[in-house]
Amino acid sequence: MALTGESTILVPVDVSTVEPPDSGVLELLQPVNVVVLGWYPVPKQTAPAHLKADHESEAAARLATVVDQFAATDHEVESVLVFTKDRRDSIDRVADQYDCDAVLMPGEGGPIDRLLVPLRGDVNLERIVTLVGELVRASDASVTFFHAVEPDADPSQGEFVLRGAADRLSEEGVERDRIEWTLSERDEPRADIVSLASEHDLVILGETEPSLRERIIGAVLSPILDEIAIPAIIVRDID
Amino acid sequence: MTGELEGQLERNIGFLEAMTLGGGTMIGAGIFILPGIAAENAGPASSVSFLIGGFVALLAALSLSELATGMPIAGGSYHYVNRALGGFFGSIVGWGMWTGLMFASAFYMIGFGQYLVGPMPFLDGRALVVLVGLVGLSLIVGVNYYGTEESSQLQNVMIGTETAIVLVYVLVGLFFVDTANLEPFAPTGPSGIIATTGIVFVSFLGFEIIATVAGEVKEPSRNIPKSMLLSVVLVTILYALVMIVSTGVIPYESLGDSLVPVSDVAVVFLGAGGVVAIVAAAAIAAISSSNSSILAAARVNFAMGRDDLMSDRLNVTHPRFGTPHRAIVATGVLTGLLVTVGLVVETIVALLAEVASFSFLVSYSLVHVSLVVFRRADPDVYDPSFRIPDFLYPAVPILGVLLSVLVITQMATTIILLGLGIVGLGMAWYVVYVRDHALDTGLLSEALAGEIEDGYRVVVPIANPATQTDLLRLAAATAQAHTDEATPELVAVNVLQVDDPSPGQNVEAERLEHQHDLLEAALTVAADLDVSLRTRALTGSHVDEAILETLVEEDADQVLLGWSGELVRDGYVFGPNLDAVVERAPCEVSLVTLHDETVGTPVALAGPGPHSQVAASRAVEFATVDDSVPTLLSVQPTTTDGDGDPKARGAAVIADVADRAGLDSSQYRSAVVVDDVEGAILDAVSQYDTVCVGLSERSDAERVNFGTIAERISQEATGNVAIVRGAYDATESPQSRRENRR
Repeated sequence: MALTGESTILVPVDVSTVEPPDSGVLELLQPVNVVVLGWYPVPKQTAPAHLKADHESEAAARLATVVDQFAATDHEVESVLVFTKDRRDSIDRVADQYDCDAVLMPGEGGPIDRLLVPLRGDVNLERIVTLVGELVRASDASVTFFHAVEPDADPSQGEFVLRGAADRLSEEGVERDRIEWTLSERDEPRADIVSLASEHDLVILGETEPSLRERIIGAVLSPILDEIAIPAIIVRDID
Repeated sequence: MTGELEGQLERNIGFLEAMTLGGGTMIGAGIFILPGIAAENAGPASSVSFLIGGFVALLAALSLSELATGMPIAGGSYHYVNRALGGFFGSIVGWGMWTGLMFASAFYMIGFGQYLVGPMPFLDGRALVVLVGLVGLSLIVGVNYYGTEESSQLQNVMIGTETAIVLVYVLVGLFFVDTANLEPFAPTGPSGIIATTGIVFVSFLGFEIIATVAGEVKEPSRNIPKSMLLSVVLVTILYALVMIVSTGVIPYESLGDSLVPVSDVAVVFLGAGGVVAIVAAAAIAAISSSNSSILAAARVNFAMGRDDLMSDRLNVTHPRFGTPHRAIVATGVLTGLLVTVGLVVETIVALLAEVASFSFLVSYSLVHVSLVVFRRADPDVYDPSFRIPDFLYPAVPILGVLLSVLVITQMATTIILLGLGIVGLGMAWYVVYVRDHALDTGLLSEALAGEIEDGYRVVVPIANPATQTDLLRLAAATAQAHTDEATPELVAVNVLQVDDPSPGQNVEAERLEHQHDLLEAALTVAADLDVSLRTRALTGSHVDEAILETLVEEDADQVLLGWSGELVRDGYVFGPNLDAVVERAPCEVSLVTLHDETVGTPVALAGPGPHSQVAASRAVEFATVDDSVPTLLSVQPTTTDGDGDPKARGAAVIADVADRAGLDSSQYRSAVVVDDVEGAILDAVSQYDTVCVGLSERSDAERVNFGTIAERISQEATGNVAIVRGAYDATESPQSRRENRR
């Protein structure tokens, strides 16, 4: 199968335990290419080669099961099996290697009907909206854009960002009535996102930090990710 | 979905981690426990013992760095010795390192007990020291068993603190050195100094731990040598200073009686607070050193299991924790027994240190030998990015072995006997267990064979069991025709195509076995033909690249390839794997299509092409298989511009080709066909069993082209066809070559 030009999402799976991917996520990711990263945690005291020698076939079998669940679509599904002491390091490396546009962070949840998309201004906006469009075009999920402006700043600036994003998304082929937005004028975007997340099924965030490691689960994102229970997709800032 | 799944290994140990692992182990327990014993045996000159030890370690670190960057795989010294010298020495070093690490670990834990118990004089020493040591050991074994993800940051902080305390001790202590204490400097003389080196050498085994985890080090080519050499140098300087300070502050006689020497010295100039700091540092040091040793011991064990030198039952990783729990428990139990021996043996600390030193000195000697073996045999897998500089080789390995042996000879008889016992254990293990399990024979014989002789060498790539016998027969015939110039030799190669060759990748066993069988069969064929044949099993992502590389490495004179005879049109002429070889091989090329079982009478087309004479020689060589006389055939058109008799012209062409090929008239028959029709040529040719045709160099396209007549022959001949070309000048590009010959 040739690359179809759609986005590619990295799905990390811990293959040391039986952890079937969530059916909601499976369904949501149908329209995009998927790279399944099966990672097997290696304790500090163990030689990775040792663990590989003992558990490779078992890990490969688990990964193959996960891949099969994704492989029902027309899109490219690739898989990588890694024995690692540092999960983040592997995620960064593989995301880079396979040119992934985004990384999925697993969470709890059933069917995904409501997506929350916090925006930080123009940063990475194009990529985020394109990905959201691809994911929801064929479904009937709704999308909520979120943006926060400082209390004494001009709210029209924030409205402009949100409206622009909504316009872009409808250009991508998503009906206007499925797109909402929320503008916050409190200076606590993090708390707002966390409370909004409870009303949604998945959150799509843009990377914030410039350094490769921080970009995926950087200092700003990780508190949010720690506090929300729903799955998250982090859109990488590749350029 | 793409490709097959292959588990990747991550490299997670950076430079700083490698330094804390190696340097941390070295600045560990030794620095706190050894000064007493060292002072007792060599007086203030014990600092010289540490310098000598550091120098021996530096030599070993140089050799190990080269080997570790050449093969960054888990196992350290054991792995390199096993690869170079085979299972016998591998078994000795494997057991030596494993027991050495256990002895070292027991040494650290008893020292740990001494430092914790020492400041409390109201407690009864001995039993309590052992007990505290055992508790500490259980802690470490537990951590390793459960695979607790210790924060490396915490580890860095701990080792940083410990190093800082030692530095304060040295820097402040220097001002309290009483030069009177440093007289006499060397009460035991040179032999005492070297004997002390034997005891304190255990301090330097930290850098070996870097090699043991080489498979996990990021950018191994840079980080391994840097961290190994730097840690050895820094630690040697530090140890020498610690000795100067310790023996300078307290007379060495009383220092020698102390179980907690550093804290006894520190109390003089740092007071009670200093002692607390020293005890804390000593405890951290003992724990971290012992932890790295047990971690390394389990890896040595794993590496032995991987090479079938150790039972896999010992090498299972825990289903839940993922740690090699059985190897860890076995190591822990044996170490515990060694600690317990401290109850009855008074000088246990020196004894443990010295036996560990012995084991490592033996291992390092064999590592130096392995380095020489690797350099001489130069196997494909060995491509070190750090090489010992030319002006230091072979001085480093030779000096390394000599000094290791010198230090060993100065050790106490008991230690030498114990050490030899461990060596004997390795030997016995080889006899009863390894011999039947492991097949790896090492590179020793290749290294002894030395440089490849410059004979006439024909490389024969084989892939198909059905045709390989005939290919080898033809190759043998051409090689033997050159017996008078040089010893003929065949090299059978098989390329196992893999997508992305990496050292961590496992090629499927089945395919490896197939390759093995093919090459094995080639050896049998060669034995029947009475020709010397070497086999080379290659892996590569491109078959043509692998073959071309081999041709250069082997300095081949000819490559003889089988070809199905089908012309591929898809941008290729002979096929994707053959084209590049035909185009770029620096030596002579023979492309052989086998239709007929016998070689019979060969015929060579004598024409104006640049390779005609090579085709003629080949026909003569092939003819020897069936003892026939080959024919040189020239085809001449009837219509001429009045240029004489076509028959005579043909004979002249044949004579010219034969002359260029260096043949005399008894070696061939001539035949001239005068006809304008290509079909007639084919008719003439079809009377022979084997046809040799020179490759045409005339080509307008940037690709191999071999002329219309040759092409038709290769397609229509019923016998065997050999398409031949001469050697290229390697400096000439295909482009300029064509232009020159056009």
